[in-house]
Amino acid sequence: MLDYKWLVQDDRIHASLYTDPQIFADELERVFQRGWVFVGHDSEVPRPGDFVTRHLGTEPVVMARGKDETIAVLVNRCAHRGTMVCNAERGNTRTFTCPYHGWTYDLGGELLGAPYPGGYAAFDKSRHGLTRAPRVSSYRGFVFASLSPTGIPLAEHLGPATRLIDRSCDLSPEGAVELSAGWVKHRCAGNWKMLPENDSDGYHLGFVHRSMFMSIRSQYQRVVGDERSIEAVVRDWGHGHIEIDWSPGYQAPFEWFGGASGPVVADFVAALERRDGPEVAQRRIMQGPAHALIFPNLFLGETNIAIVQPVSVEECVHWHTPMFLKGVPEFNGRLLRMAEAGMGPASFLMPEDLTVAGRNQLGLQARTAPWLLLGRGLNREFVDDGRTVSHVTDETTNRGFWRHYRAVMAEA
Amino acid sequence: MLSDTESRSAVEFLYREARLADEARYAEWLALWTDDGVYWVPGTTDPAADPQKHLSHVYDNRARLETRVKLLQTGHRYSQEPASLMRRLISNIEVQAADDGELIAESNFVLAELAIQAKHEMHWWVGRTTHRLRRVGGDLRMSHKKVVLINAAEPLPNLSFLI
Repeated sequence: MLDYKWLVQDDRIHASLYTDPQIFADELERVFQRGWVFVGHDSEVPRPGDFVTRHLGTEPVVMARGKDETIAVLVNRCAHRGTMVCNAERGNTRTFTCPYHGWTYDLGGELLGAPYPGGYAAFDKSRHGLTRAPRVSSYRGFVFASLSPTGIPLAEHLGPATRLIDRSCDLSPEGAVELSAGWVKHRCAGNWKMLPENDSDGYHLGFVHRSMFMSIRSQYQRVVGDERSIEAVVRDWGHGHIEIDWSPGYQAPFEWFGGASGPVVADFVAALERRDGPEVAQRRIMQGPAHALIFPNLFLGETNIAIVQPVSVEECVHWHTPMFLKGVPEFNGRLLRMAEAGMGPASFLMPEDLTVAGRNQLGLQARTAPWLLLGRGLNREFVDDGRTVSHVTDETTNRGFWRHYRAVMAEA
Repeated sequence: MLSDTESRSAVEFLYREARLADEARYAEWLALWTDDGVYWVPGTTDPAADPQKHLSHVYDNRARLETRVKLLQTGHRYSQEPASLMRRLISNIEVQAADDGELIAESNFVLAELAIQAKHEMHWWVGRTTHRLRRVGGDLRMSHKKVVLINAAEPLPNLSFLI
């Protein structure tokens, strides 16, 4: 039994957390099997019979909407000989049929039939369905699953971090986001935890993304200046949910959107004002969507939604799709172009992040210096409204991630 | 009917473009584009992919093409610093004339990339390219380039070089 309380300390973490295959195996069990993991969004499976295939950790699963509209998360493995039943990335179907011996399941994973039943003395179909995630729950369309029958409810796992999801969803005049553009998947030659850590690290921007700052103006311009003039903050929401809040640095509405004007924008603002009143509506267009990691694998990447998929101890995949706002399809074109600029293998930001992650993975092979520092900002972070907050370049977010990780991993 | 000369000039264009991209000669590559050029690498292999509805890897207009090149020229685009070592083979070229006088060249490519920015890895990129070529002054320029990777929908490593 590894001592996670020693490996994860308050101001430093051990390199083996990124390199030890045993730790990766423990994570699959304790983080991705026992805990709540983001699977997909209900707008990806709008009609009965719609499905998408995903992974909970490395567990292949299908998220499918049944005839009764409920969403099931099924382990994508035939109960007979273990064959992956569904090979498509998405689609619409009435049944899933295993290609090996023709066992057929319904959208809830119940076994409908196995050919040549004479080969069994007694065969109880009800005992040979697809394994179904025992707990599936959603918040504002974001579907989470746990492969453990027991544990805290999703609402307790999310805690006050539901406000981060609200912040993004409430930008839609209909109060809902829609993920219909498809996903781009970016392969990273680094441990999966580097992605949540980097997504919530406000310190690296001016260095890793220097080429971007030298080439174009963006909403991030104000976080690379003089340390004392930076107003953006990092915030720890508990349970490993962590945020970079750029909004204290924004000076005008829609800076998060690269600016916006015209009749469509006026109608959009008017719709928000009708629903929320002018004061709240103005706050929404000023602050923009959340930039936050919902532990362990959902990244609310401002106008994008991203998923962190672990593959092995030294490989992971970063998925992303633009976050369309229901009620304003006119924004979709812009959101697509923003998604392509910000994330994915050919974008202007993520290739640098993943190059550095790859360099991290190589550097961490060094055995002579096993500790990574985690103490930046301990001298100045403070508690505001029950949450720890600090300068955007501080490691308050990283500490929040690791504190929760330690609690989860140290549970026997 | 396309003349042999026109057809040959299209093929030579494809070879030149490939060499400039392989050798990270960014400014010369950018000069091959028309002012209204569109550079598109779809996010899927679905022929019905629509860049106004579906996420792409690249969907650059001229302004974004210039940004893409500018980033590479800063010397701080770390995913291409140093630039990958690359050679691509272009084959199965078919050229036809479009109704508007442009040339449409379709071709297959195989690109070997040695990514030397972190772990030194060999990446293979394979796909089909459609170029639209227009005469500007005396020279051919690209007005449209669409690159459909056979693995467009799979997890891809960095694609920040010019494909």
